Amino acid sequence: MALFLKRRQVLALAAALCSLTTPALADRVEVQWWHAMSGVNGERIGELVKRFNDSQQKYTVVAVNKGNYDEVLNGTIAAYRAKRAPAIVQVYERGFMTMLLSDATVPVYKLMADNGYKVDWSDFIKPVAGYYSYKGNLMAMPFNSSSPILFYNVDAFKKAGFDKPAETWGEFEKQLYAIKKAGGAECGTALATDYHWSLIENYSAVNDQPYGTRANGYDGLDTEFVYNKTLVVPQVARMKRWLDDGVLQIAGQGLSPEQLFTSGQCATYFASTAAHSGIERGAKINWSATYLPWEEGRSPKNSTIGGAALWVMKGHKPEEYAAVAAFFDFLAKPDIQFWWHKATGYVPLTNTAYELAKSSGYYKESPTRELAVLQLSRGTPTENSLGFHFGNFTQAMFAQREEVEAVFTGKKNAQQAMDDAVKRGNEILRQFEKLNRGKY
Amino acid sequence: MSAVSEARTAGAQAPRRAAAKAPAVRTSQREPGLKQAHLDGAGLPALLLFPQLAILLIFFFIPAIRALAQAFLLADPFGNSAQFVWFDNFTALFRSADYRNSIWVTLWFTLAQNVVTILVAGLLAFATNHILHGRGVYRGVILLPYAIAPAIAGILWAYLFNPAVGPIAFYLKGWGVPWDPNLDSLDAMILVVLSASWKHICYDYIFLVAGLLAVPPSLMDAAAVDGAGPLRRFFMISLPLIGPTLFFLVTMNFVYGFFETFAIIDAVTQGGPAGATDILVYKVYQDGFINLDLGSSAAQSVLLMAFALVLTLLQFRYVERNVNYHL
Repeated sequence: MALFLKRRQVLALAAALCSLTTPALADRVEVQWWHAMSGVNGERIGELVKRFNDSQQKYTVVAVNKGNYDEVLNGTIAAYRAKRAPAIVQVYERGFMTMLLSDATVPVYKLMADNGYKVDWSDFIKPVAGYYSYKGNLMAMPFNSSSPILFYNVDAFKKAGFDKPAETWGEFEKQLYAIKKAGGAECGTALATDYHWSLIENYSAVNDQPYGTRANGYDGLDTEFVYNKTLVVPQVARMKRWLDDGVLQIAGQGLSPEQLFTSGQCATYFASTAAHSGIERGAKINWSATYLPWEEGRSPKNSTIGGAALWVMKGHKPEEYAAVAAFFDFLAKPDIQFWWHKATGYVPLTNTAYELAKSSGYYKESPTRELAVLQLSRGTPTENSLGFHFGNFTQAMFAQREEVEAVFTGKKNAQQAMDDAVKRGNEILRQFEKLNRGKY
Repeated sequence: MSAVSEARTAGAQAPRRAAAKAPAVRTSQREPGLKQAHLDGAGLPALLLFPQLAILLIFFFIPAIRALAQAFLLADPFGNSAQFVWFDNFTALFRSADYRNSIWVTLWFTLAQNVVTILVAGLLAFATNHILHGRGVYRGVILLPYAIAPAIAGILWAYLFNPAVGPIAFYLKGWGVPWDPNLDSLDAMILVVLSASWKHICYDYIFLVAGLLAVPPSLMDAAAVDGAGPLRRFFMISLPLIGPTLFFLVTMNFVYGFFETFAIIDAVTQGGPAGATDILVYKVYQDGFINLDLGSSAAQSVLLMAFALVLTLLQFRYVERNVNYHL
């Protein structure tokens, strides 16, 4: 009898144990994260999520690649309309206003506060946090932030008698012509597919040129583009001049402009700091990188960010939001940020993470990795360099690109084209204002 | 392979069916009785039609009606707010210079694509009957492009003609042709027309081969006996006889050019340079899926539909008149 009881006790104990362990496993709250990272960066995301899932018992983040940024956004919109949106979505910086005024998201500062996390937002690198903030509060979790820098072929510059690219555009232009003449490279620079970002938008920020009124849209939806009255016009004319003289080369479809640089055909390449991983792998040349040039006589301001942030979608359960908050808290940890910075080339999110990278001696071995951080936090951001809060910015950007192409093909001169781009852009802004009046 | 046989019967029967049309006038009295004998009441026909109608409703009518409704709205992409704006989306389009440009680009593109496709397919089909050895291989090779995804085909062409690395561009430059589709509007247009046609030649080819096969050999033999050479026989006998097939293909090529070429444009030029290859359907995609301007995109798709309808009707009104369905 005693034995029998014992056996029952053992069984009960086992059952109790089971009830303790199985629910603990099954009860892990699962949240979906839709992202646009493919290739090497896609693998890094897999590692990141695995590290988070292994670091605790309560939550599981499932990362799903949904194509490029446009496809992720489209997929999210379709899913949201069908009430099946993922909890976390990666949306490019240009989509900020669309997401902010969509009524479909939960602000990140609120999510973190509601779930009991005290985040020191002031530790976030200024232009990064500034871009994704509204009225001083962070609306989306910055994730992969980059900034454009100037990659160059050291040997091509040496051959023409230069150590490195000049700091100002005027001198830099002379160097590119000299390099072509000296045979250092066939062309001076390869035009990146996102040139509007590096050579027009960031050009405006670095040279403290207004892009639109109302502090580039930060102060209101009634903002208007004004870059047809700034240094952007001569900048576009300069690009056309380079193109005519064979100093600037367009890769065109079927060829990546990065290859024009890494193969040695073009001496320089204006690209995101996130291009590091690709260039490190593909380059057969002796390359280095430096800051974006600025116009002579100006003190250069900070550049602005590109990349994407993580938005939290409405319509999920509290425990799912708890999972998201835990994941974001994990993301912001200095060691995770340092690892991400090293693995991908994107900038670290916080000053603490940056200090960690610096003190570990990382920038001694890879000095070009520090450029974007230094350039982003150079000086105090002005209204012109904090970032761009324009509605439907993707659409306005495409209109602008089309007008720049009209300059390239010789249909319009730079002034005409920028006037038309501003006119088209302002119509797009008015439409956004009409739709969202009173919401910003 | 089924596509080939299907096309062959369709093409081959077109003249025969047409031939049966003339006596049909006389026998028309008997037809209703014949039909009634096969189908009693409305139940069975309705049942048989149901799957097809359901598919049409779900995949065609409902989306079409929703697109029509969207065309009158200014809405945020997430669907949380919308304003009824009457015809604002349409008037904005007609005001915009790039939309008017896109209409012209589309017209030139579809016309050129049509001419190139029919001409090349016609030439290849004509040659088919004069090939003695390896005719199967010949046909197989011509049909291959149909199996290649448009995006892949586009990238292939973009690469071959890329001014920096493309092998064909290299030869063009060697011959002194200043080829640069990145900067020259005409070059870009030529490139997209070529790649879009290349993808569609096989389609026209199948129909034309079938059409040519259906030309009665007795006529050809008689003409040959009378001393007409192959070219003369082609132009004087075959061509008029395949008129219905040609007309059908012209209509299909327009539909293809209007609606199915955006993947190729996306891969080859992305509508550039400066909108030189920005055809209407690509603009619909660009404004809807990339720019998230759903109202404008919907208005554009409604207009595109109207253009295609008008053009097809015009073809039936003016071109079909000259098509002879009788043998």
